[in-house]
Amino acid sequence: MLWLQLLVNGLETGCALGVVAISFSLIYATTKIFHVAHAGIYTMGGYLAWWLVTLGVPFLVALLFAVAACTAGGALIQSQLYARLERRGATHLVILIASLGTLAVMQNIIAAVFTPNILQFPIPWASNVVVLGGSVRLTWAQLLTIAVSLAAYFAVMWFAHYTILGKRIRAVASNPFLAQITRLRPQSVYVIVVAIASAIVALPGVLVPLDLGLQPYGGITPLLTATIAMIAGGVGSLTGAFVLSIAIAELQNLSLLVMPGEWSIGITFFIFVIFMLFRPTGLFAAR
Amino acid sequence: MDFWFSYITLAEIYVLLGLSTNLLVGIVGIFSVSQAAVFGVGAYIVAHFLLAAEPMSFLPALGIAAVCCVLLNVLVTLPALRVSGDYFVVTSFGIQLLATAVFTNWTAGTGGANGLPGIPPPDLFNHPLESTGELTLLCTAGAALGCLAFYLIMRAPFGRLLRAIREDESAVAAAGKNVLRAKVSAAALAGAFAGVAGGLYATFLSFIDPSSFDLDASILLLTMVVVGGARTLAGSIIGPFLLLALPQVLTLLDIPTTIAASMRQLLYGLLLILFMMFRPQGLAGEKL
Repeated sequence: MLWLQLLVNGLETGCALGVVAISFSLIYATTKIFHVAHAGIYTMGGYLAWWLVTLGVPFLVALLFAVAACTAGGALIQSQLYARLERRGATHLVILIASLGTLAVMQNIIAAVFTPNILQFPIPWASNVVVLGGSVRLTWAQLLTIAVSLAAYFAVMWFAHYTILGKRIRAVASNPFLAQITRLRPQSVYVIVVAIASAIVALPGVLVPLDLGLQPYGGITPLLTATIAMIAGGVGSLTGAFVLSIAIAELQNLSLLVMPGEWSIGITFFIFVIFMLFRPTGLFAAR
Repeated sequence: MDFWFSYITLAEIYVLLGLSTNLLVGIVGIFSVSQAAVFGVGAYIVAHFLLAAEPMSFLPALGIAAVCCVLLNVLVTLPALRVSGDYFVVTSFGIQLLATAVFTNWTAGTGGANGLPGIPPPDLFNHPLESTGELTLLCTAGAALGCLAFYLIMRAPFGRLLRAIREDESAVAAAGKNVLRAKVSAAALAGAFAGVAGGLYATFLSFIDPSSFDLDASILLLTMVVVGGARTLAGSIIGPFLLLALPQVLTLLDIPTTIAASMRQLLYGLLLILFMMFRPQGLAGEKL
C-alpha cells in the first residue's frame, strides 16, 4: 500500500503548494511583477513562528503573529521598492533584479541570525501519528496543513468573487488603465494584493516546516514549483493553480516509487517543459 | 605575489562570465539566474576529459565543453523564449536548481558534494602550464580574446540587432528580423563564454565542487554585471575585479566565520537592490 501512502502525502504537499501558488498568482496576475522575494516572505513566516514557539508562545499565537509580520513585509516590499521603481520608470528586468536582491537579503539575514542548519519546531503533538484506513499514516502537522490549505483556498475564492475589495482587485488585474480612470488607484490596490498574498503564504510557510523543518534557503523550490503550477494551470486562474499544484505534488510523490527523492526537481521541470512546448497558456486559461 | 596572480587570474575568469551574463541580461535584456549552472557544466566537462584514463589535451576538451554549453543554452532558451520572458525566469531558476541537484547527487560523474580533486593543469601543444604565472598568462589571453570577441560582436550588425531587440521587440519584428533566432543566438554565445570560463576555472583551481556553481554563484555573477554596469565591455571588466576584492575587504572587518558566507551573500543582495534603486546603469554601464 506504499502508493496509497504516497498519494496521501502528495495531497498534503500539493495543498500546501497550492496555497503558495494561489498567493503568487494573485500578485502576478494583478501587478505583473514576478515577485521572486515571495519565497523570502514564505521562509520568514516559518522562522518567526519558530522563534516565538521556542520563546514559549502558544503555536496558534505564533502562527497569527507570523501572518501579521508577513503581511507587513509584503506591503513594505510593494510600497517601498516596487512602487518606487515603477515611479522611476524602471523596466520589468530592473524590478525583477531588485526582487532577487530582496530575496537574497531576506534569506541571508535569516541564515546569519538562525544559522543555515535545519531547525525543527519543538512541538511534540505535531509529529503524533494518526492512522487512517488501516495503513495510511499522517502526522497532526500534515492533517492541519491539509485542513488549513483547503480553508485558505475556499476563503480566497470567496474573497475574490464576492467581496468589493476582491472585485476591485480583479478589475485592476484585468485592466489597470480602465481601473485608473474609474478611480480605483491601481498602486494602492497593488499594495493590498501583495499584503494579502503575503498573509496567505505565511500559512504554508509555518505549517510545512512543522513537519519538515526550516531552512533559510528552503523557500525557492516551493516557489518555483508553485510558479510552474500557476503557469500550467493558466495565469489568472486560481483554481487552475491550486489543482495543478496538487497534480504536480502527486507526480513528484509517485515518482518516488521509481527514483530517489533528490531528483524530484527534475520531474517538476520536465512537466514545465512539456507545458511550454504543447500548451503554454495552461489548462484553465482565463483568456 | 602568488596572491595577486591568483586574484587576477580568478577575476579574469569572472570577466568571461561577466561578458556571458552581460550579453544575456544587459544586451538582450533576458533575466537569467542560471549562468553559474552553465559555468559548472563547462568546468565538469573539462575536468572529466582531463581526469579520464587517457587524458585529452586541454584545448580540445575546452572546445567540447564550449560546444556542450552552447547546445545546453540553446536547448534551454528555445522553448521558453518562444513563449515569453517570464517563462524564462522560471526556466533559469529550474535549470539552476536542476544543475545543482545533478552536481551534488550524480556521484559517479561529478564526485557529488565532495567534488572532483586533482584536475591536472592545462597544457598547450604538449607543454603543461604549471606555474601560476603561466596560468595567469593563459587566462589573460582567454579574457582578452573574450573581450575582443564581445567588442567586435557589439560593433557588428548582429550586435546592433540585439540592442534593437532590447529597445523595442515589436519594431524589430516588424522590420522583418527574426527576434527569436537572434535571442537564441545570443544565449548560445553566452553559453560558449561560460563554458570556456568553466574550463579555465577547473584547471586553475584543480578542484571543483557544487558550491562554486549554485544559485548564490549565479546571483554573484548578476551582481558583478549590475555593479560594473550593464551593456558595456568596461562594466563586465570592472564588476568582477571589484566584487572579487570585496570578500578580502570583508575579512578586515571582524565578522565571525560562521556567518561570513551569509554576510557576503547579503551584501550582494543589498548591492542589487541599491543599484536598481539609485544607479541602474552601474558604475560604467548604460541604462538597464
